[in-house]
Amino acid sequence: MSTTKATLKSFIEESFLEGTARTTVEDDLSFLEVGLLDSTGVLELVDFLEQQFEISVEDEELIPENLDSINQICTYLESKGVSTG
Amino acid sequence: MAPERETMGLDLEAEADRICAFIEDQVLVRFKRKGVVVGLSGGIDSALLASVCVRALGRDRVIAILLPEKESSPDSELFAREHAEKLGVQVETVDITPIVAAFGVYEARNRVVRQLCPDFEPGTDTMKIVLPADLLEQDGLNFFTLVVGKPDGRQIRQRLRPRQLNEIVAAQNIKQRTRMVQLYYEAEKRHYIVGGTTNRTEMEQGFFVKYGDGGVDIEPLSHLYKSQIFALARHLGVVRSILERNPSPDTYPGGSTDEEFFFRMPFSEVDVLLDAWKRGRSVDDVCRDLGYTPSQVERVYRDFQSKWNASWHMRIMPPGLSAEAQPAAPTDEPTRTKPT
Repeated sequence: MSTTKATLKSFIEESFLEGTARTTVEDDLSFLEVGLLDSTGVLELVDFLEQQFEISVEDEELIPENLDSINQICTYLESKGVSTG
Repeated sequence: MAPERETMGLDLEAEADRICAFIEDQVLVRFKRKGVVVGLSGGIDSALLASVCVRALGRDRVIAILLPEKESSPDSELFAREHAEKLGVQVETVDITPIVAAFGVYEARNRVVRQLCPDFEPGTDTMKIVLPADLLEQDGLNFFTLVVGKPDGRQIRQRLRPRQLNEIVAAQNIKQRTRMVQLYYEAEKRHYIVGGTTNRTEMEQGFFVKYGDGGVDIEPLSHLYKSQIFALARHLGVVRSILERNPSPDTYPGGSTDEEFFFRMPFSEVDVLLDAWKRGRSVDDVCRDLGYTPSQVERVYRDFQSKWNASWHMRIMPPGLSAEAQPAAPTDEPTRTKPT
């Protein structure tokens, strides 16, 4: 697993799994389908991405296609010039 | 809106009678109190509550309390007075600005606003927080944006960080909680109860403030969707100025509507879809019967579920442990005996 993906996975697991029956997040798990992200969670995730990967997330980029799973976030990060390989 | 879509199948006259019987029973028989205080905000829900309370108990047992603060729309007090006058109920007005200010609400909130908009001028500029518009047309995630309005018409929009959002909401909620405290004071000194104005659309999705506007004795309207509230209000003669007003929490000095602040689509759409979701109707059925696309219904259902999940604790008493399931003390422990 790439460092980027591992960092991301670790953040998601530490921030959003507490109190759920899950102990891990599969790469293609939809956060919205299982209810992992509410409106505050979205802001926390974006905050993390901007600070950790030194990118700027635009409002129009805040769509499920970019942020709804670890794989989708990795694809999005690549589009912003972050290496995930 | 078409009348049948607004009533959603409700027999308005029969429903008015049912609500009135409920209010009469609760106030006089269950609570054994003399009347109801209604926090009349100038909005549709409290106007309807006042109307049904007067119909149930008579105007002498209903007091309208107006609780403006410096950031309320001036229309709110105007429209509330107009409706109270039409009903012939006694009106008491308490400006809650000094109480809200004493809690540091304006300072705390404006401090956060200035982090994002350093030249924000309270009193001159407006501010509100909004969600992305048009949930039916755009697949956007729920995130809050601060919108500052300048006197020259310019708008500054900045996405809020989690801490900033929480600080603004926590400060703003003090306004509704101050109103709750004031309403209980006005009710208890008269041996009255506090009437609630939360409707079903708000109740199901958590669009009220816990121990704020949610802190009441009875909720006579919590089984009616917002569209039905409008239909019943029209049926019972709520004044036109309130019927034609766009629903708003009226707590931000930028006049955000319920749609901008929470629901992301008009109530006419929210209510039919929320009802379908509550009844467990499939996406295919809803698309066939109501003319939406599968992606629209899936998106809206997901939003409903997310808000329902986030607000579960607002619809119950505070969780506690059961006394019946209390573990018994070990039998070999010394037991206290009565002195002889």
